[in-house]
Amino acid sequence: MSAPRNPCRRIVVVGGGQVGVLAAAALRQAMPVSQVVLVGQQPNPASFADFAPTSLPNSTSMHERLGLEESEIVLKAGGSYRLVTRFQGWSAAGEEGLFSYGETLDPTLKTAFAREWGGTRQLGSNDRRQGSIAQMLAEAGRFAPPPPDQQTPLSEVDYALRWNPAAYRDLLIERAQALGVDYIEGQIEAVEIGEGASIAAIRLAGQGRVEADLFVDCSGPAATLSASHPDFALIDWSDTLPTRMVYVGRPIDAVIALEDRVSLVDTGWVTQVAGRDGLHTMLGTGEGVDRDAALATLGAPALAAINLSSGRIAEPWLGNVIAIGDASARFEPVGPYHLDLAHRQIELLLEMLPGKHIEPLERDEYNRRSIMMMEAVHETLAIHFAARRAQTIFGKRPLPGRVADELDQFRRRGRIPFREEDPLLAQERFALLVALGFTPGLPPAAHNADAAAEEQAHRDFAARAQAAIDFAPPYAQWLASVSQQSPAPAG
Amino acid sequence: MSEKMPAGRRKVRVVVLGGGTAGWMTAAGIARLLPDLADVALVESEDIGIVGVGEATLPHIRGFVETLGIDEAAFMKATHATYKLGIDFRDFGRIGESYIHPFGSFGEELRGVGFHHYWLELQRQGLARPLGDYSLAVAAAQANRFRPPAQDTSLASTYGYAYQFDATLFGPFMREFGLSIGVERHEGKVTSVDRDSADGDVTALVLEDGRRMEGDLFVDCSGFRSLLLGQELKEDWEDWTHWLPCDRAAAMPCSHVTDDIRPYTTATAMPAGWRWQIPLQHRMGNGYVFSSAHISEEDACEAIVGAAEGKPLADPRILRFRPGRRRNSWSHNVIGVGLASGFLEPLESTSIYLAQMAITYLIELFPQDGAIDPRDRAEFNRLVDMEYDRVRDFLILHYHATTRDDSEFWNHVRTMTVPDSLADKLELWRKAARIEKYSDGLFYDASWIAVYVGQGMLPERHDTRPALGNPQQLAQATERLREAVLREVGAMPNHREYLRGEAARIADAA
Repeated sequence: MSAPRNPCRRIVVVGGGQVGVLAAAALRQAMPVSQVVLVGQQPNPASFADFAPTSLPNSTSMHERLGLEESEIVLKAGGSYRLVTRFQGWSAAGEEGLFSYGETLDPTLKTAFAREWGGTRQLGSNDRRQGSIAQMLAEAGRFAPPPPDQQTPLSEVDYALRWNPAAYRDLLIERAQALGVDYIEGQIEAVEIGEGASIAAIRLAGQGRVEADLFVDCSGPAATLSASHPDFALIDWSDTLPTRMVYVGRPIDAVIALEDRVSLVDTGWVTQVAGRDGLHTMLGTGEGVDRDAALATLGAPALAAINLSSGRIAEPWLGNVIAIGDASARFEPVGPYHLDLAHRQIELLLEMLPGKHIEPLERDEYNRRSIMMMEAVHETLAIHFAARRAQTIFGKRPLPGRVADELDQFRRRGRIPFREEDPLLAQERFALLVALGFTPGLPPAAHNADAAAEEQAHRDFAARAQAAIDFAPPYAQWLASVSQQSPAPAG
Repeated sequence: MSEKMPAGRRKVRVVVLGGGTAGWMTAAGIARLLPDLADVALVESEDIGIVGVGEATLPHIRGFVETLGIDEAAFMKATHATYKLGIDFRDFGRIGESYIHPFGSFGEELRGVGFHHYWLELQRQGLARPLGDYSLAVAAAQANRFRPPAQDTSLASTYGYAYQFDATLFGPFMREFGLSIGVERHEGKVTSVDRDSADGDVTALVLEDGRRMEGDLFVDCSGFRSLLLGQELKEDWEDWTHWLPCDRAAAMPCSHVTDDIRPYTTATAMPAGWRWQIPLQHRMGNGYVFSSAHISEEDACEAIVGAAEGKPLADPRILRFRPGRRRNSWSHNVIGVGLASGFLEPLESTSIYLAQMAITYLIELFPQDGAIDPRDRAEFNRLVDMEYDRVRDFLILHYHATTRDDSEFWNHVRTMTVPDSLADKLELWRKAARIEKYSDGLFYDASWIAVYVGQGMLPERHDTRPALGNPQQLAQATERLREAVLREVGAMPNHREYLRGEAARIADAA
C-alpha cells in the first residue's frame, strides 16, 4: 500500500527578487504544512529574471496558481500588454519581421506563406500579407484582454503581460505574506553540508542557523547555495552565445504600445520593452565593443553594466538544493526567456515536489527536464545569433544541440522538428525564424495546395481579423480607463 | 502532370514493394498528399499472402483517414468496423484481475497534482473505488456504451476512440482508394534488384517476367521478408525477443456469442502469451499470441480453439514474427514501412500506428527533387527509432509487472532484466509514483498509470499533498466525479444500438 511522503518541515528559498518571492509563495501555497522561509535580499541587476518587466504568455498559469488577477497587475503594478515583437535588422540592416504568440495561424495560410515567400521573400517590402490577428490589432492600436470565460473575436489572441518590476515584486510579496511565507533578511555567512552531500543548514550573519529539508536557490547568477555544494559544476555556453556585456538603461518616458522591439545594431542587440513606467532598454555587446560606443547606443542613462559569462549549472538539483532562474542558467536577455524559464522550473518543482526524503531518481528526472528547458532556451538564443547579420556583427558561432538540424529543416522544408520543454510553440518558433530573416522552405505536402482553399483561408482570416479590430477598443484609451484608479508607479 | 513542376524538376518515381496494409497505406498516402511531387507505383503478387496485422487500432488512425480525405462512414462500412475505447487486460498482473487501458484519462489533475496521487491516498484510507471508475472511457467501455466524444472541454470530451476492423478488408479498401487516386499497380514477383554500382542505391526491381520497375525511391513493405532493406541492403536487425518473447500467433475468427458488441478489445493473458478478442460488426476476431519457446504451434492452436467462445469460422492460422527493428529504417534510397522496418506484437494495437507514423514522417521528409539529403534520412531514422523504443518499453511493462509464477513463460518475463530506459521508469514509479514525462511518441502518463495500477504495481510512496486535506472531503469530491461519470455513461447509447442507429452510414448491408 502506497503511503504519502513525509512533508518537508521547512523549505528555505534564498533570494528576495521576484523569482525567489514567486517560488516561496508557490511552494507555500502548494504545501501549507511546510514552513517556507524566504531568506536574503534582492539579487543584483545581473539576475535578469529578477528584474524582468515581462515574460511569455505562459506566465498566466503562474499568476492563476497564486490567485494573482491580471487586472490587479494592471492596477497596482503598471501592467500593460504586448501582442507583437518587432525584430529589426537581424538579417540585414533595414529589414524587419514581426513575431506574435500562439498557435493561431491557419495551416493553409502557413503553407501559403511559405509558398509566397519561400525563396523569393522581399524583406522590407510593404505588400506582405498579414501574419496574425495579433499583428493586425497591434498595427491598428486596438486591444483589450478577452474575458477568459467568453468567446469573443479576441479569444484566440495570445498576449504577454508587462509590469513595473518593483511594483510587481511588491505585489508578489503581498501574496507571499498572505500565504504565510516567513521572511528573514540577512546575509548568508556559511553553508553547512550535512550527510549525503545535502545542505543541513545555512548560517546568517548575526542571526544564527536556519535548518531545512529542502533549499531552493533563487539567488541569481551567484548561485550562493548551489555553488557551495561539493558537486557544483558549470557548463559553459560562451562558445555559442556571444554577448559579453549587457547595459541596462533607466526607463524614462512612458510608452503605451502593443509592440516591443528586439533590434540588431552595429554595436550589438537592443531590446526595448514598452512600459507605463518608461521604455525598458537593454543593449548586449560582444567582445571588444567600446564602452562609450555602447553607452551612446543605449541612448538612456545606464542603470547597470553587467559582465556576462553564459552557461548553465550541470545539475540544477544537487543533494537537497535546487537552482531556479539565473542561479541555474545565465544568458543574454535578448527576449523574455529568463523569467519564463524560472516560471517553468518552479512549475516543474511543484509538479515533482519531493518529501522530506528525496528520491535520487526523481532528482534525476527533475534534472533531465530542467536541463531540457535550459538547453531549449540556449538553442532558441543561438538561433538569433545564427541570423545573417548577427553573424557579421558577433562572428560566426558553432550551433548548439539540434539548432543546425532545425535551421536546415526549416530552410529546406519549412519544418519545425518537435522539441521537448520548448519555451515556444512550434508556430511561435516558425514565426521567430521568419522574423529573424530565415526563409522557410516549402513542405512537401504544400506543393499541391489548393488555390481556392488558400484564397478562402485568406478571406476567412481577413474576416476574423476585421471582426477582432471592430470588437477591440483603442488600446491606449482602454488602458487609461482601467488604470486611472491608480496611476502607474514611477519606474 | 509534369508541366506543373518547375522547370528542371521531374516527379519522384516511388516504387512501393508489397500490397499489404502497410504497402497500400504508403502508396495511398504519398499519392494523395504529394500528387505533384511523386508518381507512385506498387508491386504486389497475388501469390504472396498478407499478414493483415492489427485488427484493432489507436485513435491516430482517424487522423490518417481524415488527412487522406476518406469518409469515416465509408471506411467503417467497408471494414466492418466497430468503435474502440480501449483494451481490457485480463490476468496480466495476477490471474483473476483485469483493468482497462482507456483512450482517455483518469480523473483530473487538482492543484497541479496528478489524480493518481489522490487515488492512492484514498486507497490507503480504504475509500477508493477502482481507478477505472474515475475514467469516462473505462466506465463507458464496461457498460458497453459508446458515443463520439464531445467537442468541448466538458467531461464528455475526455476520451478518444479508435476502430476495431477486419484487417483483411482494410488493405483492399486502401488499395481501392489508392488506385482511385492514381497509384499504378503492378502484379508480379520481384526476382532481382538492380543497384547503382557507384553509390549502391536501388535503381530498379526486376520482376519474374523481366519487367523492370525503375524508381528514385523504394518503399519496402514486403513484410518480414524485407526484400530490400533486409535481404538486399542487409540492414542490421535489432532483435528484442529476449524482452518480448512472443513470436507467433494463432488466429481464428469466430461468430459473436452474445448480442452485445464490446466497444473495446480484450487481451487475456495465457500460459505462454496472451489472446485477443476483437469485436467486429459481423464477427469476433480471436487469436493467441505466444512464445514458440514455451508452447508448440499445435498446442497453441488447440488452446485457442478451446478458449474461443463463439463458433469458429475458420481453422486457426499461424502467423510468425520477430520483435525488433532495423537499425536503420531508411538506408540508401530504401525506406522500410511496416514489418520490413520493425515489429512489435499487437498487445497495444500499435502495428498500424507504427506504419502510419513512418508514412507521416516520410511525407514530411520526402526528397522533393528526388535527391535524398542524408540529413533527412538521419532525421527519419531518429524519429522512427524513438517511436519504436518508446512503444517497446511500454509493451515490456505489461509482461514484467506481474506476480504470475504459473508457467515458465511468466517466470521468464517476470524475472528478466528490462532495458535501462524502462528500469528507471519503473523505479521512479515505485519510489515516488511519478511518470517519466515526454510529449513526443506514444503513451503518456494515463497509459502508464493504467498499466502500473491495473497490474498491481503500486508505488511505495505518493505525493504528500493529497494527504494534507480532509479525507472525507477528498472522498466526496471523487465520489461526485464518479457520479458525473456514471451520469455521462447513462446518457450514452449501447454500442451495438449506436452501430445499428448509424447502420445506414457505417454498416455493411451484408
